[in-house]
Amino acid sequence: MSLLRVEGLTVALPPGGDRPHAVEDVSFHVDAGEILCVVGESGSGKSISANAVMGLLPKGLPVRRGSITFEGRNLLSLAPEAMRKLRGERLAMIFQEPMTALNPLMRVGDQIAEVLRVHGSGADAARRVPELLAAVNLPDPAAIARSHPFRLSGGQRQRVMIAMALALEPALLIADEPTTALDVTTQMQILRLIREIQSRRGMGVLFITHDFGVVAEIADRVAVMQRGRIVEQGPAEELLNRPQHPYTRALIAAVPHGAAEARAVIATAPVLELRGVEKTYRRGGFFGARAVVRAVHDADFTLRRGETLGLVGESGSGKSTLARCVVKLVEPEQGTIAYHGTDLRPLSRAAWKPYRQRIQMVFQDPYASLNPRRTVGDTIAEGPVTHGEPRGKALERARELLRLVQLDPGAMDRYPHEFSGGQRQRIGIARALAMEPELLIADEPVSALDVSVQAQVLALLAEIRARLGLTMLFITHDLRVAAQICDRVAVMQRGAIVEQGPTSEVFAAPQHPYTRQLLDSIPGRGWTPPAL
Amino acid sequence: MRDFWRRFRRNKGAVVGLVILLLVVLVAATAPWLYPGSPWDMAGAPFSPPGEMGMLLGTDSLGRDVAAGIAHGARISLLVGAVSTVAALLVGVTLGAVAGYLGGFADDAVMRFTEFFQTIPSFVLAILLVAIFTPSIGSVVFAIAIVSWPPVARVVRAEFLSLRGREFVQAAEVLGKSRLSIVLTDILPNALSPIVVLSSLMVASAILLESALSFLGLGDPNLMTWGFLIGSGRSVIRLAWWMSVFPGIAIFLTVLALNLVGEGLSDALNPRLARQRGGAA
Repeated sequence: MSLLRVEGLTVALPPGGDRPHAVEDVSFHVDAGEILCVVGESGSGKSISANAVMGLLPKGLPVRRGSITFEGRNLLSLAPEAMRKLRGERLAMIFQEPMTALNPLMRVGDQIAEVLRVHGSGADAARRVPELLAAVNLPDPAAIARSHPFRLSGGQRQRVMIAMALALEPALLIADEPTTALDVTTQMQILRLIREIQSRRGMGVLFITHDFGVVAEIADRVAVMQRGRIVEQGPAEELLNRPQHPYTRALIAAVPHGAAEARAVIATAPVLELRGVEKTYRRGGFFGARAVVRAVHDADFTLRRGETLGLVGESGSGKSTLARCVVKLVEPEQGTIAYHGTDLRPLSRAAWKPYRQRIQMVFQDPYASLNPRRTVGDTIAEGPVTHGEPRGKALERARELLRLVQLDPGAMDRYPHEFSGGQRQRIGIARALAMEPELLIADEPVSALDVSVQAQVLALLAEIRARLGLTMLFITHDLRVAAQICDRVAVMQRGAIVEQGPTSEVFAAPQHPYTRQLLDSIPGRGWTPPAL
Repeated sequence: MRDFWRRFRRNKGAVVGLVILLLVVLVAATAPWLYPGSPWDMAGAPFSPPGEMGMLLGTDSLGRDVAAGIAHGARISLLVGAVSTVAALLVGVTLGAVAGYLGGFADDAVMRFTEFFQTIPSFVLAILLVAIFTPSIGSVVFAIAIVSWPPVARVVRAEFLSLRGREFVQAAEVLGKSRLSIVLTDILPNALSPIVVLSSLMVASAILLESALSFLGLGDPNLMTWGFLIGSGRSVIRLAWWMSVFPGIAIFLTVLALNLVGEGLSDALNPRLARQRGGAA
């Protein structure tokens, strides 16, 4: 008998949604001692399925049909009191956002002890709490137990969440994108930890994710969801290498392959040269110690015409700060930023203006990077108009640009909120291209997008680059993406570039230990997506 | 726009407030026809109770019609509320925008200046200003504007601080737009909703402040206002309650209506917050 069996689950969406049901006729099961990954893009209903099992559906989303059987009991007909007892004791859940899932005012140890106390085993909390913290591989459990959450890093918090979830030795652990908010090296540690604990205790794990790399890393079996339905289900090895359903095939085909091919060395004239650029943030100082963060230092690089240089690194490595230094969104204290030999750093706002046409930027968050109160046409035409082009002509060009980024020119008079994330990112690219730049800086342009949309946007960038002969500085945390699009990569750690070179060389023979660690942490690196 | 109206209507209180407010505006607009002539003129015997001698709301100690006073006073109250709010918005939005957008030294300077005004009790400052500049409608409006801009500056600064870091503002910087045009076309339109909500509440408090000043005899001596009506009836309240109570009700209803409308605006402009509050309203 399966630990968890979901049969024909149908959950309604409030009227007026894009489809009548959030999930429809979903059936799957989780056995003890196995990890079932539910994969899908945003809005596919994977989190709704997990929340239904936990009894955490919001009021607006009632269960219409189906059954959820856990250890022989139907969870849907259970009284709230009985369900509450089951939660935490037999069923546990960890969430995506470790930064907000802990009570900021309570010490970590007390929060874990609370879980024990609520379920009536608070007496041995003093002994169990350090044990649990040690079980999730946290160093110095006694000290961690006394800390408040703000003292811990994202990875440490996620470990604490896992310790809380494991406190009562549940039979089933539900993990809803537990590593999505974490850096790649931390992600790998958490995945290994979940794997290890799961096999040690023989738990069943229902693991929700959007990342096929993570699936390849951790799953025993996989269920693929699309628009509220499970379209394909099967053993991980089978499904990853021989996907049957067209949607699964499309998703897997969209996964960046991560293999860096050797490219011709580009030896054209340098477009951009950074030498000795330093940016330091200082905080505090009135009372207590001054905190000094060296956001960027020792990060020299040269970008040649027609080349794409990838800046890779984890969050806080200074890659975005470095890119923003180039466009004067951040003002570095020293160093030279030479654009065709002219140092841009000391230039005033007015003296910079001519260079705005030559150097443009695409931003990370497609939801925040467009002014919500301005039509798409005006957004794209805005740059050229600012630089003196007649409005009519600029709008005409905006229309052409929309076609170039594969959007319907009818989008001109609509507002950003009417578009999806991928479409908005195309609009952002069109806005940058409207200036006819020579150098394009792309700051994580695909990291907020679903994998299939990500593939489309990357293909679009590659095509535009080839067609317009753009030079590109491409910032990303995703090494697979970097391998696919960059001629050269520069790896950043704590504000400094620790290694740079042709992509294929860096990937094949990393010199710096940090680069090696990053490459080892790519989830599912043992799996090469099949050619489909 | 239709969406906005639908969300506004969902808040029943706001609709009631809007209806009351429209009635007050209607009375103010038609006062010269409803009660021709000056409200200062004698219209009947002194101390007539409401309903007697054809006086709807009675007369005061000099035989002036209280209803005429309220109708004409509505003009002044609404005018003072609107004009002083507009003036306070001009100052507050400008200073808040400068502080929030430029940050650094400009922010520090503007905020210390704002705090200077906030540390003085606003009503005392208003009395002082009116007393110095001799009571007139101009000095009353000026005094109210001076004491009510600091909260606007603070709200606008906070909005600008958070919007300044947003990517679409950074994108505008990268496009090479001038600071003024970034502030006017990118940031300000996105900061409007809290400003609109705040200004509806400011009109209400300006009306209260004006009434309080008139009550103390610091209103424009040539203009009939609600505060003056209450103030003049104060000494004979046991003899002629209607002289103070009806203007009081007028102030109460108008201020209540403005607050209700403000809440409705806030719900309609921030639909997500409204839903979190229960959505039942």
